Amino acid sequence: MDPKITEVSQTFERFKAAFVRNDFDTCTRLLSQLKVLLTAFTSLPPLFQETSNAIHELTIARDIYEHAIVLSVKMEDQDAFERDFFQLKPYYTDARGRLPASPQEYPILGLNLLRLLVQNRIAEFHTELELLSQSALDNPCIKHAVELEQSFMEGAYHRVLSARQTVPDATYAYFMDLLAKTVRDEIAGCSEKAYDRLSTSDARQILLFSSDKELLQYVEKEHPEWEIKDGFIIFQKVKDSVPCKEIPSLQLITQTLSYARELERIV
Amino acid sequence: MALLVVILSVFYIAMVVVWVSQVFFKMDDQEVKVQHQSPPSVYDCSADPSVLQDLKEVASLIEGGAYTSEVQKIYRAMRLTMKLRSKLKASVLSAFLNYVLTSGSEVHTRLSSYLPQDRHDSQVHVETPATESKHLLPELEMFCYLLVLIFLIDQKKYNKAKACSSESIVRLKSKNSITADVLASRLYFYYSLSFELAGDLAEIRGNLLALYRSATIHHNKFSQETLLNLLLRNYLHYHLYDQAEKFRSKAHHFKALSNQQFCRYLLYQGKIKTIQLEYTDAKDCLLQAAQKGPTIAVGFKIQCNKWAVIVHLLLGEIPERTIFTQKRMEKALRPYFELTNAFRVGDLELFRTVAEKFSSTFSQDRTSNLINRVRHNVIRTGIKNISVSYARISLADIAKKLNLDFENTVGDAENIVAKAIRDGAIDATLDHANGWLVSKATGDVYSTNEPQIAFDTRINLCLNMHNEALRALRLPRGLINKGVAT
Repeated sequence: MDPKITEVSQTFERFKAAFVRNDFDTCTRLLSQLKVLLTAFTSLPPLFQETSNAIHELTIARDIYEHAIVLSVKMEDQDAFERDFFQLKPYYTDARGRLPASPQEYPILGLNLLRLLVQNRIAEFHTELELLSQSALDNPCIKHAVELEQSFMEGAYHRVLSARQTVPDATYAYFMDLLAKTVRDEIAGCSEKAYDRLSTSDARQILLFSSDKELLQYVEKEHPEWEIKDGFIIFQKVKDSVPCKEIPSLQLITQTLSYARELERIV
Repeated sequence: MALLVVILSVFYIAMVVVWVSQVFFKMDDQEVKVQHQSPPSVYDCSADPSVLQDLKEVASLIEGGAYTSEVQKIYRAMRLTMKLRSKLKASVLSAFLNYVLTSGSEVHTRLSSYLPQDRHDSQVHVETPATESKHLLPELEMFCYLLVLIFLIDQKKYNKAKACSSESIVRLKSKNSITADVLASRLYFYYSLSFELAGDLAEIRGNLLALYRSATIHHNKFSQETLLNLLLRNYLHYHLYDQAEKFRSKAHHFKALSNQQFCRYLLYQGKIKTIQLEYTDAKDCLLQAAQKGPTIAVGFKIQCNKWAVIVHLLLGEIPERTIFTQKRMEKALRPYFELTNAFRVGDLELFRTVAEKFSSTFSQDRTSNLINRVRHNVIRTGIKNISVSYARISLADIAKKLNLDFENTVGDAENIVAKAIRDGAIDATLDHANGWLVSKATGDVYSTNEPQIAFDTRINLCLNMHNEALRALRLPRGLINKGVAT
């Protein structure tokens, strides 16, 4: 066997051992070593050379990046997740015909969808979604993320939160926690427009806090413009209740002038 | 003051409309003239010899065009060729090849090898003058390749077409003039088409990119345009919207030398924008593509309209009924019509049944993901309808009316309504203690700036249309000048 492959697989074994022990320092150190070692393989993307060991090398490289992604989730490092995911992606798309499908593929794709949702990158979320086949969309991991996005867009926030209990994989928990924070901000934003006033106990329930103290801290930090009086939160100040009755003269003048200019060009 | 402005604007818009219509009439005149120019002999060719004769005429047209660098002649030649397309036969083609190419030359033997050797062989040899000079114009060689390629595609011999087109691309790399450019762009188109029909479009992506690069370096505008579209098509075929958008935004500005290519470009751009949630831009692109598309291109128009309908729905608008009643499109747009109906009523249940009923059509059109996105807009129209008709309604009733099927129905309904209020879909407030939605009285829309804004967008549309029509009129002359200069 090629000595380079042996070296990679040995390092990878050590990485996996540290990974199981949750020894993150050793993991990151070994991972960067592995990534350097992988650059020596010519069969990997972007070269995709047809060498005799190509299949073996591709499989092991894919395995390494899959572990790297799970590691980045455990370490709660979203940037590392994004980097590793982009490196992994060619193995799922361009090398699809040559490698047997990885059991980790759908969980990781679902995880990525969830990440995009948490970061509120909905356009990219849908771009990724278009790449998936119908059978992939039926996979529970992907379906979970897709349904979350739908509920989120509809405003069915309770359903988003209850999905926390039905996560398909333990790694999803981290992003679900982040999503809960986003959901709270969304609810707060909607509430201040939809209600005139709310009693503090109702507000606590709606904003999903367990105690009034937490609620008050949150209001103080995120929404200092809300007024708290006699056990009620009053949102009135936020709204600009009086609609503008003036004639927007400047805008009208510019518009009329631009029509005149265009007409001059025609005549 | 306001009244004066309105009167003035009415006057302006009337002027603009008159001008736009004048420009359109001018355009019509021009098209009619072009049609009259085509020789009448094209219409009465039923037998093979006349087809051959027509092909010879086309060849001499190309020759003339190539010597004087007149792009218009090449265009006409291409139009004539397309009319002859259905009448092409192997025997006619080989006779034509014998006429144009020196028999025994490399091109001749290569091209003849693609044609099926039939028993009329002897008859063909009778009329082989082969008196053509040894010097062969690159344009004519391209034309021969093009003819053989079209023939192979029509005969559904895709593998042969693949080989033939690849070979032509390799051979014609070095040819570089404005007339060759037009022909090359056609060749590229059929090159991509033959690979698409054979089902391996991904193979040629690298080649297309290389061709695009060299076309850009040589300022081959026509090839550039065609290749840009082919690449976008290639990416979209594999749902690579990300790559397609990156390529599109980095590529050169699209100059719209040919209307057909521009329509395609608009459709691709519209699709990309739809996926990336830029619905307003997408709507502009798709509607423009549907308007600009030639009347005979029904399939293209249907596709544009399908996407345009969905973008309308995603924007929360209801598309006009006339879209669905257009001639020859009614049947194809039927599923989308029913979808719009469900949307208009705001009935989630009906929407779901329609989506299920036509799920095969939607997944074939690759729109099922988009239709999933429309779902929350359906809920929103439902809420809008309710808030208009009731001054005060309990949240539990809203949930029942909308057919929401969540566990925590009232709580979720409250959130959904709150979100609709925040996004400005309805003008109302929630009363949490009583669990009510209280609608505010709808004000008179004419007391706001709304009509003025709507009017402004329409005026702008007319002015833009006028400007674009003028630009379309100006283009050919500029091109001819350029052709003479080079």
